[in-house]
Amino acid sequence: MTELITIPGRWEFDYTYFAGEAASRFFGELKDNRRIMGVCCPSCKRVLVPARSFCDVCFQRTEDWVEVGPEGVVETFTILTATFAGMPKPPVVIAYVTFDGADTALLNVVTGLDLSNISDAADRLQARPRVRACFVDEPQGRITDFMFTLF
Amino acid sequence: MTVVDTPVYIEGIALNIGWHDATKDLSELIFDTVTLALEDADQSIDAVDSVVLAAHDLVDGRSLSSMVTAPAAGAYLREEIRFSDDAAGALVGAMTKLESGRARRSVVAAWGRSSEYNYDQFSQTLFDPIYGRPIGLNEFVLSAMRAQLYLATDHHKEQRTRASLRRDEAARANPRALKSGGYQSAAPYPLVPADLPLWADVAVALILSVEPAPIRVIGAGQSSEPYALGDRNLRALQGLQLAAGRAMTQAGTTSSQLDVVEVDGLTLIDEAMGLESIGFAAAGQGLEQLADDPRCNPSGGGAAGYCPPAMGLVRIVESILQLRGEAGVNQVAGARRAMATGSSTVAGQTHTAIVVEAA
Repeated sequence: MTELITIPGRWEFDYTYFAGEAASRFFGELKDNRRIMGVCCPSCKRVLVPARSFCDVCFQRTEDWVEVGPEGVVETFTILTATFAGMPKPPVVIAYVTFDGADTALLNVVTGLDLSNISDAADRLQARPRVRACFVDEPQGRITDFMFTLF
Repeated sequence: MTVVDTPVYIEGIALNIGWHDATKDLSELIFDTVTLALEDADQSIDAVDSVVLAAHDLVDGRSLSSMVTAPAAGAYLREEIRFSDDAAGALVGAMTKLESGRARRSVVAAWGRSSEYNYDQFSQTLFDPIYGRPIGLNEFVLSAMRAQLYLATDHHKEQRTRASLRRDEAARANPRALKSGGYQSAAPYPLVPADLPLWADVAVALILSVEPAPIRVIGAGQSSEPYALGDRNLRALQGLQLAAGRAMTQAGTTSSQLDVVEVDGLTLIDEAMGLESIGFAAAGQGLEQLADDPRCNPSGGGAAGYCPPAMGLVRIVESILQLRGEAGVNQVAGARRAMATGSSTVAGQTHTAIVVEAA
């Protein structure tokens, strides 16, 4: 009988992603001024966060930058109770939060919540609590420069 | 969308759901499935002048541009489109070839082989590297957040349990479903294992033609949602709602006139939301409908075996089997008209809805 062969494979490539001018400015504001910035669409008037160079709903360029937050409200969340690649040791909460003054939500990790009882933690998050952006000691100009903290 | 003058028919279908079959490499799996579809159509490859393929480089672990897979689907010296999104969209691509008169018969094929990789390892790489990936966003995290919104708005516990049981029963009764092997990913809260799909090896093929055949495509619609997930209303599938509406308008039908619906969704909750989005269930009633209505995902949906980007085409094949009266134990009696949907591999950004009818 023919021995059936399997051949191991692995993809491991390096990429350099161009964040672009708008995202670079957004991250620069995080790093240098610890501010969350959005842009106002000239057509629909929504404040889009993170700031970006165009509104894809209206297909219009955006140039009017506005500061939002640093507080906001949890829109939806999940609690990771198993290990996921690239994530901190579970349990971890990640959520979409709409900052005060914004019309779109931003994803990040939520801290300041007792996760010893997942059900109790979920109950608290389902109430759509308010959170505040809490910055790391040494921001690097990345989305991981801040987390959401319940207060 | 304008009404199509050139009718498009489905002459043949083939679906292969399996697991870890080391007797075939990927190209052989594709070749066998397309061959079965041609046999089902009673056609030879010589009668085909168009090939449209849906595949994903990360799923395949091979570049789609490498030409590894296309010849296995019959693409040699034929007009070919390669589609890197859910395969229901590939069917629309093939329809445009036929409707424009550029082709008379087309292969549409899609595949994914979960046993060759670990989905959880690359799921994050499907997402935006600047804002999403660093936070750990992956497909199940997103579905969990959608589910959280869905489950928080109504009291779904009892319906969720019944829908899950019925889905498993339907999958067990489906002769094409994966019966052994496969695996499930971890379930982020509020998802539970019963909500999740069963990863499988999937190859699926259809033969479309302008020649009259027993099944006709009478409607197709597509729509795309914003890229930024934080811009979307995650409680609704607006893109699917629009796609289904466009398909039904073209078909001249309403959701109440559909005999069968096969809705694609990564999780049970996504399937319930999809059912509501196409108008086959009232808002908040998707799980109840899945639990009680045998016309909804009679195949067992994601529990029967799942692998992107083939699933939209799988849903279409299951619908066609219903119209041909060949679905097996889960046959819906007298089914004449069906809708199938497919949602894109990444976060359900794009949606396709197809309406098929027994001609």
